[in-house]
Amino acid sequence: MGGDSAGRAGTRRRSIARRLLLSLIAVLYVVSIPWYREPGVLPEIWLGLPDWVTVALACYVGVAVCNAIAWWLTEVPDEGPDGAPR
Amino acid sequence: MSFEWLGLAALGSYLAGLFAVAGIARRARRDETAADHFLAGRDLGVFVLFLTLYATAYSGNSLLGYPGEAYRRGFSFIMATGFMMSIIVCFHALAPVLRPVAIAQGFVTPGDWIRHRFGGEPGERALLLGVAVLMIIALANFLLAQLTAMGHVSSQVTGGLVPFWLGVVGLAAVILYYETLGGMRAVAWTDAAQAMLMLLGLAALLWWLLTSAGGMEAVTRQIAAVRPDAVRVPDRTEQANWLSTIVLLGLASVVYPQAIQRIYAARSGLALSRSFALMSFMPLATTLVVTLIGLAAIGHFGNLGGIEADTVMPRLLGTWAEVGPISTAFAVVVFIGALAAIMSTADSVLLSLGSMLSEDLLERPRSRDATASTGKWLAAVVLLGMVALALGPRLTLWHLIELKMELLIQCVPAFLLGARWAGLRARPTFFGLLAGTAIAVGGVWLGFARVGGIHIGVLSLLVNLCIAVGGSLVARRGLESRQAPS
Repeated sequence: MGGDSAGRAGTRRRSIARRLLLSLIAVLYVVSIPWYREPGVLPEIWLGLPDWVTVALACYVGVAVCNAIAWWLTEVPDEGPDGAPR
Repeated sequence: MSFEWLGLAALGSYLAGLFAVAGIARRARRDETAADHFLAGRDLGVFVLFLTLYATAYSGNSLLGYPGEAYRRGFSFIMATGFMMSIIVCFHALAPVLRPVAIAQGFVTPGDWIRHRFGGEPGERALLLGVAVLMIIALANFLLAQLTAMGHVSSQVTGGLVPFWLGVVGLAAVILYYETLGGMRAVAWTDAAQAMLMLLGLAALLWWLLTSAGGMEAVTRQIAAVRPDAVRVPDRTEQANWLSTIVLLGLASVVYPQAIQRIYAARSGLALSRSFALMSFMPLATTLVVTLIGLAAIGHFGNLGGIEADTVMPRLLGTWAEVGPISTAFAVVVFIGALAAIMSTADSVLLSLGSMLSEDLLERPRSRDATASTGKWLAAVVLLGMVALALGPRLTLWHLIELKMELLIQCVPAFLLGARWAGLRARPTFFGLLAGTAIAVGGVWLGFARVGGIHIGVLSLLVNLCIAVGGSLVARRGLESRQAPS
């Protein structure tokens, strides 16, 4: 019984963490696009790239890390009643 | 040994290796069923599954089309790294629901999901046909892009000893042979070997790119001097297109038939989630590298336009091969790695085509051994048609990618929404798919492929979703009012 409730609590924590990570990924995608800059401006160079490209790339590194953790936390069941919502 | 002959020898060795793998896979088969041929007996572990997902996702489009598009558009094509990641993000919506159903019900094709999810409803058969036709057209388009890329690369790696037409026809025959002989098992094993070759080749290419140009900053300054527009902050239309491309490719790639079939083919749910976790990093190791290659080409080659820009990577490799014997050998490795990537995608597409044509379109019974054989023959016929089209390429590889995605994205409600919302009904989903496809095709036909930077496929998906959701709600209300006591 105790093991079951601990298991359910663990599953719930993983589910919440996964949702938070997916929300963070959405934010990173929005930030990766240079909406915040005046179009047509010649940028400075940061780390060898135009500054807005460096920001986009940093966001995508963040997406990769968050997404990998989210998949690590995802339980893909091999068995289920029939799985499809009817 | 000259570049041409070294390339020809490497190509010959590579093809001999493929024949050997096909023979081993043939001996490893358990039976003659469709599940064994098309899904390798559902026994792909983390390592092979990850590498086959990788080799299938990164294709001729990635290795030739993406550098070409980066060359044409400049630094804003950094979006490619983002949209390739969005594919693995979007799989969160589908894989955890689809996988247990697929195992419980013994799915082989994407159409099996439609039959199961909407089984017995009015409009189920029409929806199945609509989804199958769109997917088969998208797969045929995908095959065409791979064949075109195969012709370019085989011609370049042998310095013209193998002409474009022979590259297309000869390599298509090789793929057909080992796919027919060994099925998904041969495809997955060759994918694994091809993926490792591709990673090695791209690592070598990145090393050359950075060392020969004097570092990334020197490359950026050179591009700014030659084409300042490639470095400037993109305008609002381009920014909107950036977001639209992430949505279009992220959602549409989730319903790639060959990707769906890999969800079915995984040995376990754990193997699948671990493979997706590893896949999250591959755009940084692959898409980013090929984007930088395309950008570096701006400094090397002046003004290549249209289809010609798709050849920037082979041109860069040709330049590199002239530096010395070691760079010649590495350039050949990159060429073979690129060819491997292209062929690994083409073989997966061919395998999916065979299963969808025989089981989803013609609805041949799975229990018959002849069904797998029918699929192989039908796939071969489509391959022949695409070979004929590939011999006279008229569209850029990027244009082919966009066209394919505009169609595939219309299947998203049937899969993603169908997996998450019990209220979705077959008939409105079919009418949504029909309307979305008509708007997408009509828009492209009339020259409105993008509206304010947003792809017509994304806009038509909104219409598609409104019809599917609205129609399902109306159907439910009608059912409730009929069931209510008078």
